[in-house]
Amino acid sequence: MSDVALVVKQTRYSLKSISRSPRALVFTVIFPIVMLLLFASIFSKGGDARTNFQGGQIDTDAYFTAGIIAYAIAMACFSSLAISLTTERETGLLKRFRGTPVPAWTFIAARICRSIVLVAFQVVALLVIARLAFDVRLSAEGIAEVAVFSVLGTAAMCALGIALTSVTTTPDSAATIAPFGTVLLAFISGVFIPTDQLPDSLVQIGRIFPLAHLASGLQAAFGTGAVHLSGENVAVIALWGAAGIIVAARTFRWEPHAQA
Amino acid sequence: MAEAAGSELAIHVRDLQKSYGDSEAVRGIDLDIAVGEIFGFLGPNGAGKSTTIEILEGYRKRTRGEAWVLGTDPGKPTREWRERIGLVLQDSQLDPTLTVRETVTMFSDFYPRPRPVDETIELVGLKEKRDARVGTLSGGQRRRADVAVAIVGDPELVFLDEPTTGFDPSARREAWNMIEGLKSLGKTIFLTTHYMDEAQHLADRVAILAAGKIVARGRPEDLGGATEQATVIRFRVPDGVTLEQLRSAAQEPVEIAGSEASIQCEGPQETLYRLLAWAEREGHKLEALEVQRPSLEDVFLQLTGGAPQPTQEVAA
Repeated sequence: MSDVALVVKQTRYSLKSISRSPRALVFTVIFPIVMLLLFASIFSKGGDARTNFQGGQIDTDAYFTAGIIAYAIAMACFSSLAISLTTERETGLLKRFRGTPVPAWTFIAARICRSIVLVAFQVVALLVIARLAFDVRLSAEGIAEVAVFSVLGTAAMCALGIALTSVTTTPDSAATIAPFGTVLLAFISGVFIPTDQLPDSLVQIGRIFPLAHLASGLQAAFGTGAVHLSGENVAVIALWGAAGIIVAARTFRWEPHAQA
Repeated sequence: MAEAAGSELAIHVRDLQKSYGDSEAVRGIDLDIAVGEIFGFLGPNGAGKSTTIEILEGYRKRTRGEAWVLGTDPGKPTREWRERIGLVLQDSQLDPTLTVRETVTMFSDFYPRPRPVDETIELVGLKEKRDARVGTLSGGQRRRADVAVAIVGDPELVFLDEPTTGFDPSARREAWNMIEGLKSLGKTIFLTTHYMDEAQHLADRVAILAAGKIVARGRPEDLGGATEQATVIRFRVPDGVTLEQLRSAAQEPVEIAGSEASIQCEGPQETLYRLLAWAEREGHKLEALEVQRPSLEDVFLQLTGGAPQPTQEVAA
């Protein structure tokens, strides 16, 4: 069996595994959808509300749809990868895998592929729900832009999720730090609360991190007019992604900490 | 040439050393393990057992010395080499959400010539549990799933690192049968255990490790000779027989405690012969007669100066 075929098979087992883990399912799949329904209903005031965005205004429902997509990407990549890799490392599963003939990278690749599948599912599901429930529409350019930021965000968040495993020494610490950090940032990154309703200092803190840039990149895609691809958003996400890759490559370990 | 020497044996190790900073975990050990044998590698915690097995499994680099595992240097593990080796690690868990069959199938995909999945599950005695999720299995059943995963690639050499830790006696017996089954398939087995009865029962040969060095090696039944402890003959003292009579019959010092006589002797065969001939002649019946050789456990305790301790399990 070729290594690529092995990655595909591993991805399937990995998806099967997450589909049987209620906590992971709630966090990565159900929670973002519930959040979208909740926040859009609270803030959109019957569908007419507009939210200030980059000097102009966009439809509030679209604003939340884009923000929640960013949040879903962070959960499916950053949080979910950090938790499952930490758990698999600390239970000795990664070490066990490394003792098989298969190249070790295929296991990491399969888990990244699982995140990609989850992101694809989430982006489509959230767009369909937003369209049906709130009549949120995307232009052709908008679709391309959502695709670009989804791919970039997925790559960066996966790298950061793997990098995070260097500080999460137990499955519990990963399952706390990763989702809690994501939720915390979601509050100050224009995901759960529009940035025009936040103190400027919090917005500035939020903009240090990639989630705010992923959210605003995606939000811009829902605006009307020409291409909004913001160089700043792309650059910040890419820089964080590159930092994540460097940290991950330097610090990734296969063996559990529990072992002396 | 070293490679030629190594290729005749499953494992060939000379002067293996491993230090972590200033501390020397393994201080020069030699091993020769023949193809098809069960080799028991024994030692108390901290003796260097885990370090040695992890070097041979290709997980750790040695500091000095020579090591050949199936003719390959385990310090440079290759894919082809890993295809010929099966591992049961001491502290590794499988994905609890996958079923036994899914897990074994997944691992079978990693090998070019895997054993049939269902047959492998049956071999480890998990046929009834093949559709159960690994997370619902008992400790003993999980360990058997580990073994299934280790042998599904049809390896020539299997490392079993404390395969029965935490098992109840009947689960251990079943595991022993399974391990003997592996031997009958022609596998070479490198077994570590802290149960001396397990080594005595399973291993063709054992080595006892203490403080990074091998302090005894040989067949379990021969290792008794490594101690000063003698074989003991015990029996119930027949009615009306005195200590003096027993001493002159056995021509060895005899001790009587309660109704039991015990004779420590170097050559049990001659002593027994004299004793039985005397009993026959005099018409005495020697009830509860037994001959006890020093057990592997006695040898272990004497050589390592302590009881074999189970490895501490770290709570997940």
